[in-house]
Amino acid sequence: MTTTAAVDAQPVVEVEDLRVTYARSVQALRGVSLWVPRKGVVAVLGNNGAGKSTLLRAISGTLGQEGGTVTDGSIRLAGRPVERYGPSAIVAEGVLHAPEGRRVFGTLTVEDNLRAGGTAARSRRARAEAGERVYALFPVLYERRRQRAGLLSGGEQQMLAIGRALMGSPRVLLLDEPSLGLAPLLTERIAEVITEINREGTAVVLVEQNAAMALRVADLAFVLEAGRVSLQGRAADLAGTTEVRDRYLGMGAGQRPAPPDPGQRPVPSGSGQLLPPSPGQLSPPDAERPSPPDVERPSPSGVAQPSPPGAGQPSPPTAAQPPSPGAQRKGTAEAGSAVHELVVEDVSVRFGGVQALDRVSFTVTPGSLHALIGPNGAGKSTCLNVLSGVYAPTTGGVRYGDHDLTRLPQHRIAAAGISRTFQNLALSPGETVLDNLLVARHRYMRTGFLSAALRTPRSRREAAEHRAAAERTAALLGLDRLLHSRVGELPYGDRKRVELARALCAEPGLLLLDEPVAGMNHGESLRMEQAIGTVQRELGISIVLVEHDMRFVMGLADRVTVLDFGRRIADGTPAEVQRDPHVLRAYLGDLPGVTT
Amino acid sequence: MNEFLGFLVNGLSLGAIYALIALGFVMIFKATSVMNFAHGSIVLLGAYVVGRTHDEVGFWWAALLGILAAAAAAALVDLIVLRHARGADLGTLAILTIGVDTLLSTELTREMGTAILDAGAPWGTSTVHLGGTSVPLSRLVAALVAVVVVAVLWAVFRFTHWGVRMRAAAEDGTTAALMGIRLGRVAAGAWAIAGVLAALAGVFLTSFPSPGISPAAGVTALAAVPAWVLGGFDSFPGAVVGGLVIGVVTALSAGYQEHLLFLGRDLAQVAPYAVMFLVLLVRPSGLFGSKEFARV
Ligand SMILES: Nc1ncnc2c1ncn2[C@@H]1O[C@H](COP(=O)(O)OP(=O)(O)OP(=O)(O)O)[C@@H](O)[C@H]1O
Ligand SMILES: [Mg+2]
Repeated sequence: MTTTAAVDAQPVVEVEDLRVTYARSVQALRGVSLWVPRKGVVAVLGNNGAGKSTLLRAISGTLGQEGGTVTDGSIRLAGRPVERYGPSAIVAEGVLHAPEGRRVFGTLTVEDNLRAGGTAARSRRARAEAGERVYALFPVLYERRRQRAGLLSGGEQQMLAIGRALMGSPRVLLLDEPSLGLAPLLTERIAEVITEINREGTAVVLVEQNAAMALRVADLAFVLEAGRVSLQGRAADLAGTTEVRDRYLGMGAGQRPAPPDPGQRPVPSGSGQLLPPSPGQLSPPDAERPSPPDVERPSPSGVAQPSPPGAGQPSPPTAAQPPSPGAQRKGTAEAGSAVHELVVEDVSVRFGGVQALDRVSFTVTPGSLHALIGPNGAGKSTCLNVLSGVYAPTTGGVRYGDHDLTRLPQHRIAAAGISRTFQNLALSPGETVLDNLLVARHRYMRTGFLSAALRTPRSRREAAEHRAAAERTAALLGLDRLLHSRVGELPYGDRKRVELARALCAEPGLLLLDEPVAGMNHGESLRMEQAIGTVQRELGISIVLVEHDMRFVMGLADRVTVLDFGRRIADGTPAEVQRDPHVLRAYLGDLPGVTT
Repeated sequence: MNEFLGFLVNGLSLGAIYALIALGFVMIFKATSVMNFAHGSIVLLGAYVVGRTHDEVGFWWAALLGILAAAAAAALVDLIVLRHARGADLGTLAILTIGVDTLLSTELTREMGTAILDAGAPWGTSTVHLGGTSVPLSRLVAALVAVVVVAVLWAVFRFTHWGVRMRAAAEDGTTAALMGIRLGRVAAGAWAIAGVLAALAGVFLTSFPSPGISPAAGVTALAAVPAWVLGGFDSFPGAVVGGLVIGVVTALSAGYQEHLLFLGRDLAQVAPYAVMFLVLLVRPSGLFGSKEFARV
């Protein structure tokens, strides 16, 4: 794969000194140059907000729809300048873009989504062949072909989004985080798919937070930081640099850590026990550090000028740093929620022909972090939906302290101190981060409408308090700089953080998290891990966590329940579950220990 | 009882015509998020072309010309007026279409003068006796045509590639563009189809028992607005059901006018709106309007 031939081939896409600005004068790209070898795979790594998706949008001509413009620089496709082309002209050139965040057509059936994707296919034959290939790759899509795409599980939607892009038989495929929300086994499949379509002649630009996977399939790699290329080189060489290993891979390229010692129970504090974050590990990469010979460090201005990669990005919370919402909470008697035991007993949920949950039971002891893992479509989100009252189970019961959650409407469940985040995000995109957070403070608002309207001193004091609480939570999650940004403009990973912050603002006793680190790279997920660990430690709340990032899960969880096809196939400590042969087969793959 | 049955049949057939118009509203709204208040004058244009040409070319060719003219006019409204305003808010776009409506209907009125043209349809003024009541033949044809048109539309949307593209573009234009779906073409196509439906409705709306083709037809066509709204703005089944409901309500309130005098004269004109308000009170997004469709 990483052959010299592939890297040195005539570039099919050339981007030169590209600068992009969004409507509200955010400069997203500040002079990016990169190239895609013909029939090569290029990985683009970087933090949330580094400009990766913007780069793809610029190539596919869809910046305009997001309010962005190319202010300078050029994009060439097979030598022809295309930076002024519209999306359909770009597609006509054989460039297809699978955008960030799935964006399947929810009201269309799975089959029709694929047909829409086939619009760009060269011929009826090509379309039929591509269709067969997609169904062979993702058999679940074939089973669900008549179902509306909006009803698929998150991972199934992701498969559909990838399949839809493959339907156009592209010459150049731009993939924005294809492994988002996919179970470890499927992520491996995606890697194989990329390799395979590449072998058949498609060049791929791969924006990916799963850097280990990306660097494994790529020939070339570029690291974006704050709108500039900070590192570039052959993927294999980059994977060997300290910076990439620390910030994106976490544990060194290619090598997987040994399974944790069975006797040693991971510490639930979330302080990253499996991976102690040494001070240097999270600090900005140091320009002086020697880098391997093949890795270039482009400096657009000609001067070696390492951009501060921390810019615009949160710094890791340290012990001394931002106080958690709880710090204040202990002072105010009325705020906060009691923490109870959660007992899920024999819960079943059925949707038409799909048994989403099949007599599932587990217990979450107060103050613990309970992870729910399993393949895509196993029923994890459905389980959270039952816990938060979105679905009523067909049989079984859920008790939280004295509350019978199966009988309570959603708002009463929230009032009992249960709040959640959503896999597909449920924020108000037009509002600022701060306003989104304040919505969650709603149930603590004491002053009535009238005194708020009259701006009485009391109401003003209260408003200030809520604002302060929201700001503290934001700081804890590194969102303080983004408080006044509109949520719709934030990159996916930041939106996930806003969701978590909003859930925390409700000061719950039980927090339900659906894939909190999907779309984050290693360094970012480490910070999330620390933030969640801190929250849990300081507030003593219970957390039910759904996540496919096993390093994250195993580092945080006290207990893990594994679902497959709606059934519980394992339940135990992280160490026990990781050794369970059923779990290995159904979910983790035959890889020993933690997968990336 | 027989009287009631007569009103009902008349109402349903009138409703079929409203349904055709309301389907056009829905089509345009789904594809381009425009509330097209120029639709009334497009209905009128279709009817006018038929009325003007049938003497020379015969009714069927005239009908074809009328349909083509209305389709072209609708597509041009999209291409010339609205294409450059894509992304503007609903209100601005609606006002633009009101401007187009004023222009087009003024021009048509000038052309027509005071003469009342005849559509020249072969079914003329004949009526059919159905279960003790008489129904104009033109209305029966209208109902039949509406059924066929709805079935064809449904099949086109459901099964053809064009239909898939149209639905994809309506749901998420940005993503659809990424698959190579040309939003401009989809939009113009949707407008043209709405134009076809408008011309068909125009012919029936101006056939017997109505007096003939006059500028008033454009206004009559707007009686389909409550049908569109109560059906739920963006729902094809809603447009059909809404059209039928409004048709029946109109026919019944006109038929029983004498008994309902205490509600005032011209009840038939007011009743559709009253029904619309009642429905919206109970179901704010209309009978079939899409509430946010998603799972979490
Ligand atoms: N509202 C619904 N209607 C029909 N089917 C549904 C609905 N919700 C979920 N399903 C189906 O139930 C199964 C379980 O879905 P669920 O979302 O719980 O999976 P998951 O474990 O969260 O998967 P992922 O890891 O992909 O998010 C899936 O096959 C899904 O298609
Ligand atoms: Mg899920």
